[in-house]
Formats: sequence, C-alpha cells, structure tokens
Amino acid sequence: MSLFNTDKDFNVISNLIPSGSNIIDIGCGDGSLLDYLDKNKNINGRGLEIDQDKIRECLAKGISVMQGDADIDLVDYPDKSFDYSILTYTLQATKKPKEVLEELVRISDKAIVSFPNFGYWKIRLNLLLNGTMPVSNNLSYSWYETPNLHFCTITDFIELCGATNIKIEKKCNLKKYSIQEYTKKSKFDNFFLESGMFLISKK
Amino acid sequence: MSENVIVELASSENPLVLDCGKTIGPIKTAYTTYGKLNDSKSNAILICHALTGDQYVASEHPITKKNGWWSLLIGPGKSIDTDKYFIICPNVIGGCMGSTGPNEENPQTGKEYGLDFPVVTIADMVKAQKLLIDKLGIKKLFSVIGGSMGGMLVLQWLSKYPACVFSAIPIATTSSHSAQNIALNELARQAIMADPEWKSGNYNEQNTKPIKGLSVARMAAHISYLSEQSLHEKFGRNLQNKNKIEFSFDADFQVESYLRHQGFKFVDRFDANSYLYITRAMDYFDLKMENNGSLIEAFKDTEAHTLCVSFTSDWLYPTSENKVITKTFNALGLNVSFVEIDTDNGHDSFLLNEPEFFDTIQGFLDATYKKL
Repeated sequence: MSLFNTDKDFNVISNLIPSGSNIIDIGCGDGSLLDYLDKNKNINGRGLEIDQDKIRECLAKGISVMQGDADIDLVDYPDKSFDYSILTYTLQATKKPKEVLEELVRISDKAIVSFPNFGYWKIRLNLLLNGTMPVSNNLSYSWYETPNLHFCTITDFIELCGATNIKIEKKCNLKKYSIQEYTKKSKFDNFFLESGMFLISKK
Repeated sequence: MSENVIVELASSENPLVLDCGKTIGPIKTAYTTYGKLNDSKSNAILICHALTGDQYVASEHPITKKNGWWSLLIGPGKSIDTDKYFIICPNVIGGCMGSTGPNEENPQTGKEYGLDFPVVTIADMVKAQKLLIDKLGIKKLFSVIGGSMGGMLVLQWLSKYPACVFSAIPIATTSSHSAQNIALNELARQAIMADPEWKSGNYNEQNTKPIKGLSVARMAAHISYLSEQSLHEKFGRNLQNKNKIEFSFDADFQVESYLRHQGFKFVDRFDANSYLYITRAMDYFDLKMENNGSLIEAFKDTEAHTLCVSFTSDWLYPTSENKVITKTFNALGLNVSFVEIDTDNGHDSFLLNEPEFFDTIQGFLDATYKKL
C-alpha cells in the first residue's frame, strides 16, 4: 500500500519513536520506512514481508527481513521482542485483525498502526450518492479484486481497542501531520480524516 | 582461480579429537580457492559442499570435466563475485576427493583405511575446516555458505565458532536430521552393503567395485532431490526410444533410463565407503541434542547476520525444517532474514539456475559486506 507512504507519513512515525529503538515493520514492503528510520533514528530494524520481490529489495538495502504473513508468523516472536512494532495500512488486509493487534502489543512494548478510515466523509458521500464501493487514490482496487478484507472506521478501531486489552496512547493526524495524546473518541476525526494512525500498547 | 591444493593439518602429536573419542592426525584437506584474500583478511567466504559435492565449486571437475557445481553462482562478476570476495571450498574429511577419508592411506598402517576409518560427524568436519582457516591466517570469515549437508556445516560453524563468523547463509537444510532423512540414507547404505562387490568395505584391496550398490544408492537419493511436479514435467509417462511398452524389465520409461544414467555416472566420481561415512555424519547431526535439548543454547553466542533460504517444492529439507532455525535466530534477536523461493525443482533447486535465489544471495552478501 505504498500510496500512503509519503515522507511526511514517515516523519510522523519517526517522531513517535525514540532513537536506537528495536523495531519490526510488519508488511514492510521494499523496506523504505525501515531505511528512513535507520537513517533518521538509528534504529535496529527488522521487516516481515510476504512478497519475494520486495524482500529482495530489502536485502539489497541491508535490511533483515523474514518472508512471512502477519496472520501466521507473529506467533514465532517471543513476548517483548521489540520496542515498537509498526503496521502501516496492512491491518485491513489481514484475515484476523483483532488477533493481529493483540500479537503486536504482545511482541512489542508499543505499536504504531495506521489504516484507511471508512468513516471519512468522501467515502460516506460516495456510497450515499453513487451506491458503489469506494475507489479512490487511497483505495484503488475494485471490490472484486481488492486484497483488503476488513475495512473499518476510526470509531470501529477505537471500539475494538476498548473491547480488548489494548490501550490507545496517542493519535496522529495525517492531514496536519501532528501527534496528540489520546484522551477520548472524536467524531470529527472519524468524519474528516482519510486515515487513522494510533500508538497503542497493552492495557 | 587456484588449482586443487592439499594441506596437512593437525599431527600425530597434536591430533584432531573426534566426537567418537578417537583421534586422527595428521589429516589432509584438499581445497580450492578463487579470488584474492585482501590485506585485512576480511573478505573470505567459506563454501561448504553437500553430501556428494566436493571442492570443485567453481572450476572444472577433474573426473567429470564438468563446470563446478556452483559455477552459476560463483565467479568474476557473478552473484558471489570473486573479484570482490576470496572463496575457499574444502573437501570434507570422510570425503573422497583428496581429504582424509576411508579411501585414503592410514599413516599408521600404510594401508587404505576402509572401514577402519573412524566414524566422523558434521562437527568433526567443521573442526578440520577450522584448522584450514587458521592455517590461512583468517580470524573471521566474512561468510559461511552451504546448502543441504553444507547448510548443516554452516549451522555447526555458527554454533561451535561463533566469533569466527560474520555472516552465514544456511540453505535448504535442517538443525537435526529427521527420521525420513535417516530412512533414506539407510536405504542407500544398505544398497551399497548388499552389493557382493563391496567386500565388507575392502573392495579396493580386492580389486572390485560395488558399482551396482552405489548406483542404486544414488538413484534413490536422486529421487529425493526432485519433486513430483518436476519428475512429471520432465518425463511424464514418456517411453524411452520406443513406441510401446515391451512387457520386460528393461528401461521402458524415460524416468527409468534417466535414473539408471544418474546412478552409473555417479560411481565414476564417488567412493562407496565415503558415501557410508558422510551419510552417517548427516544422520548423527542433531544440534538440539548436542546442546542439552535447546537449539537456543546451540546459537547463544553468535551475533552473525544470517540469511536462511528454503524452496517450496523441497520435501527432503522442507521449509518447516528451515523455519525451526529462523525461529531460533528470531528468539535470540539475531539479524536474520528468511526467504522461501517458489520453484518446482525440489531440493536440487539450490544447485540449479534459479535467478531469484541468486539475486537474494547477492543482495544479502553485498549489503552485509558494507556492515563489516
């Protein structure tokens, strides 16, 4: 889902992470984010990726990467293996998003999760006016060929965290590229933000 | 490129102590090198061969006259670039291409060892390789690379000499030989020993050769190196130079003819007793047991950058066995990478032209070299 991964997104993630952290990027693609964090925050990074071509790109960048699947292979990591795990725009493509989130906060102290927000007003309007599944720059697949299985809204995500052992620590606004302490659910975020990004940990 | 070199290592006063408790010394190791060792001796890569491989990794084989078994991968400008790296490939002890083994002379008796040769292990082979590396004045190998049994040697290096290995690529291998692996090796050994020409291992002395036994052993092993898919695609039920089956036990099918050919050409270059010894070493390989039942314990001191590779259609050393290794490396927080190459070529894939496999190795090595 490289469409989302602008330098500004990377910078927000970078601001959430202290220098020298141990990090796993799940669904790390060609390793651009890990490379960025290595250069800017001197992290010790690992990747998990399913696509072999992208794995080879990671290796050529000197990034340690495991071929694997977020739904299956996170069980192989012991508790607290990392300081931070990162899951950018991959949650909606997993088979079991709830279990994946629980694994994230098990294998790392904190996790950064971002996803497309289906509560965004343009998506709502599109469905209301056209009556078709949304296809936009961020969601460029037709419904019949999308790899995405579980779309949610920011409100859905927050409610899921509340129903599990997950605490939301910070929320990021990827429009203004800002980070705020999370206090309570905001209807405005759910309506006006195209994507959600949160820093979470185990309750 | 170097010629084949044979060095004497250890000595009768300071012999190699084997896992079985016996000692041998001096021992011989035959090896080839490619490229140049740099001044800081930091660009050396040790290549570990598989069961029936040898030191001719990237140069013409003296008996078969064929290109080296990894000449697609190793050479000037290739994925493992000999313009950049110094490659060392020794024949394992127990082997039959010039290193100390059952068909070499026993210095104590002046006669061929035969079955008097002690049973050696993967760890013993690695101890002998370490003596060679010491002799070459190399303190730390930039990388140790090998597939199949070669992968076991790589793992043994990581476990036994962690301070001497900067990076490692174990390919299509296992940390302990499975029951299926042992069963297939036992089939091969029994085929050799059932040949009356084997003469309890003294065939050279009696001027015979267990050609049939060794070729049946090779045929059985060769099947395990392929996959159902590749056998089907290569041969199907095609008949060999005939239009219909002949109601006989001649090679009616192409696959029969192919296997017979593989078996008979193998005996020209390989020694039957060596086959017994090396398969036994593989069967005894169990890093977990060796380390009080803990694979974590086996690798606790290594800090090497590792790349593990498996192949989707390999049923001899399947992905699941390779993942046991990556899981352990992960648990230790090592810099580990893992790739499962998608191919129909079975276990043999690591010796074939697999561009994605080659690119994977090259990317890892070149990027890791910058971290030295």
